[in-house]
Amino acid sequence: MKKWKDILLVMVTMVLLAAASSAAEAPLILDLHPDDNNPSAPVMGDQLRFWSTIINTGADPIEGLVAWISLVEIDPGNEQPVELEDWSAHKAVTGAALKPGVSLRTDWPMRLIKGGDYRVVVSVTDRGSHTVFTSPTIQFNVRQKPVLQAGRVLPVAAGVPLLIIGLMVFNKTRQRRKKAQV
Amino acid sequence: MKTHWTIAYKESAQMLRSQRGLLWVLAFSGLLSSFSLLLVSNTELSLLDNAQVVYMMSGTVLAAGALLAAILGSDAYAGEKERGTLVPLLCAPVSVTALLTGKALGMLTAWGVMFAVATPYLWTVGASGQNLGAALFYLALFGTPVVLGFGYLAMTVSARTGSVLASLLSTITLLMLAASPLLIGPGLRGTTIGRALDAVNPFAGALNTFDSVIIDSEPFSAQFARLLLVVVWLGLCLLAARRSAAHPNFQ
Repeated sequence: MKKWKDILLVMVTMVLLAAASSAAEAPLILDLHPDDNNPSAPVMGDQLRFWSTIINTGADPIEGLVAWISLVEIDPGNEQPVELEDWSAHKAVTGAALKPGVSLRTDWPMRLIKGGDYRVVVSVTDRGSHTVFTSPTIQFNVRQKPVLQAGRVLPVAAGVPLLIIGLMVFNKTRQRRKKAQV
Repeated sequence: MKTHWTIAYKESAQMLRSQRGLLWVLAFSGLLSSFSLLLVSNTELSLLDNAQVVYMMSGTVLAAGALLAAILGSDAYAGEKERGTLVPLLCAPVSVTALLTGKALGMLTAWGVMFAVATPYLWTVGASGQNLGAALFYLALFGTPVVLGFGYLAMTVSARTGSVLASLLSTITLLMLAASPLLIGPGLRGTTIGRALDAVNPFAGALNTFDSVIIDSEPFSAQFARLLLVVVWLGLCLLAARRSAAHPNFQ
């Protein structure tokens, strides 16, 4: 039994060492955090802002850096990536270059279009490496709200056509009266 | 009263006083009523953001306005010819420019009526959201040249072919192509061909501006290129209409 425990311990140690070694080789640090002014309980229509910081920790400059933001919906049964078309006009930073030791701080504004649970993450890659680095994820919930008020829509939806029909009847009556007078 | 005002008055009266014109206004309000009712009766759609709904409705108003302009423009010369009134009209002391201006002012009035009818609908769906004022402003600023451009284009084909049917078919087909961004998703428009079409399509230019200002709250300065696109579109269509109107088809 002790022998198996030792083998397991060695395997776990090897995996951890490999992970640590891979992390140590990463030429950049990527961080993501929410803006201090973000609402604590966001509702549809609110604006959120996230800040990412990319630091080149390697010895070589990073050329052709591309950073992009991704949003994933994680509602049970509705897990899917979100098309950011309506959520944000600022979806990526492209072509930036980072000298060793230099950092790039970017803000990612986002408008909350739909309610649900979401995770946001920023990914970074560059021209030379074959790796995509990802930031820590931030999870948030967007409360739904009924944005259309039926009480306001119904009178207009019924009233305007009725008004035009009334105008048509008035028009027709006036034309008939004119004809009768002639 | 100047000649073009007389023609404009006659054309506008057809829209505002005739049963035919009012029937169109009724159909248009019916379209917007159905759209609004669909939004509130469907759970998924009713949760759409106000700005998103205002954007969708602005696109619908623009498409309906361009359709009306295509119909009125198609009728402008070929309709007169088919009714046998084109020759007397051209024999009258009316310059080509006055005739064209008068008909364009008539179209502008029709667009104005549609805009006025659409305003309460936009208010109902967008009053509790953002950028309703911007939506109305940009609908007028970008919608007017796009709609007038389609009207002038229809006039061009109408004067060239002398056939209302031919003009309607060709202009509406082109309008359907131009308005395709209303139907296809942003993913498809993200392709090279989609982006190329967007770059030269005035309708897409107007829609992208609505998206930009209503949903993304971007400033006026970000809209210059698209404004230039719709103004160039209007200018080109006006030039084409002037050329064709000078030599309409009598055959």
